Amino acid sequence: MTYRKPTREETTAINRALGRWGAYEALKDSTFLVKDGKPNKVCIVSPALEEQAIALQPYAAGLEIGELGKQFTPTVAGAYLFARSGKSRLCVQVGDDAEKLVLYGRDVMGDSIIEAAQDLDENELVILTNQKGEAIGIGRTRFAGKSLLQKGRITITTLADAGRYLRDEDESRTKMARR
Amino acid sequence: MSAALASKYGYDEWLVSRFLQYVPDVDGFLEKMERPPAKYIRVNTLKTSREELVARLVAKGFELGDTAIHDVLAVKKALLPTGATNEYLLGHYYIQDLSSCMAVEALGADKGQAVLDMAAAPGGKTTYIAQKMKNTGSIVALEPVEKRARSMAFNMERLGVSNTCICQLNGLRAADIGTFDRVLLDAPCSCEGVIAKDPGRKTSHSPEDVDYCASRQEKMLKVAIQVARPGGVIVYSTCSFAPEENEAVIDRAVKEFGVRVEPISHGSEGMRSFGGTDFDPGVRNSRRFYPHLHDTTGFFVARLRK
Repeated sequence: MTYRKPTREETTAINRALGRWGAYEALKDSTFLVKDGKPNKVCIVSPALEEQAIALQPYAAGLEIGELGKQFTPTVAGAYLFARSGKSRLCVQVGDDAEKLVLYGRDVMGDSIIEAAQDLDENELVILTNQKGEAIGIGRTRFAGKSLLQKGRITITTLADAGRYLRDEDESRTKMARR
Repeated sequence: MSAALASKYGYDEWLVSRFLQYVPDVDGFLEKMERPPAKYIRVNTLKTSREELVARLVAKGFELGDTAIHDVLAVKKALLPTGATNEYLLGHYYIQDLSSCMAVEALGADKGQAVLDMAAAPGGKTTYIAQKMKNTGSIVALEPVEKRARSMAFNMERLGVSNTCICQLNGLRAADIGTFDRVLLDAPCSCEGVIAKDPGRKTSHSPEDVDYCASRQEKMLKVAIQVARPGGVIVYSTCSFAPEENEAVIDRAVKEFGVRVEPISHGSEGMRSFGGTDFDPGVRNSRRFYPHLHDTTGFFVARLRK
């Protein structure tokens, strides 16, 4: 894994992604590094950390905000920044009960959605937010537009959520206990 | 006396006989170690404010109290496990002992500085330093073991830290990576101060462990001083009460490298002598934290100026 400055093409892709996720104005002046891998990962670093990370090639550097594959896929940490930076049509707000379920990795029922843009397509990546507008996970829509709100059906698949920190820790403890 | 106390509380006698030499009110101390330690959380101001977090946790049935540090709250009552709230998962706070935060307070890291954390995982102090620096400047955090480095990376991600890199490097090799304005050495130690959390330590270590730790700590502190820039600050801390791991290490650093021990506002004064050795007068500026006196885990902190 190598940390390096983004190429011109990657910078364009990052800026486009920031625009798509409603965070361009807030984050356009940030310093980004790319961590080579499959796929490559995009990290926000403080300006002072940039050269240091390139020189040291550390285990981890800065805040990993997303993956640069065919399209940019935000991490939960990236989603948190984007949701805080501005209002995006790709943010779907869920109620308190659904928030708890999403944080356990569960999918989202149409009944639980408080607010979603009407022009969302099927199979679109979205940021799941709680009622305070904080990102709690990343999801993929199973339906388009108003159909997302239909009752009694799962309408968004949860792909990643902030609760994995706890689950990963528990899993790691269980593995340790088994040894 | 040590035999009776050791038998009453289930310790190895050699350990209690040592406590009698350097822990005030040993009865009160051993009694306190039988009770669950106080719980503290540190507000992550990179993501929220103290007021906002208090309001959210109080609404969930938490009772919180003030501490000597504004960003650290005492958890007096919690209806949920402190590590299972949505706010925890979203990185609004970190579960961290007050004494551990004292080490970061003593470091006095500020915006734009270059900081080295020589023994960083799981990252509680590192992420607090990042918060103090408002995600500016840079922090190099060292953790040689990959599993622990991974766990630390998770914490950095959860707390929204962007000015830190984690290097899989032993602290003794820190001279390979540059010089720093601030250096934190929370040294691996015999962990006498965390017996309330880990009662197995009442009988699991030996006097030789203290000597082994002291020798390693001295080597690490030498490197810490070496990589600090002239006028820079080094904070040395352990979660042990053993003077061999604390004041004696600092005393030798003062005498060998000419560093100054600067005052710290909280805690009990460092020891003036131990085992027939009188320490440099400045060593008393270091601070001890005792569970029964300060309601923290046992801790030692010294702030050195190069």
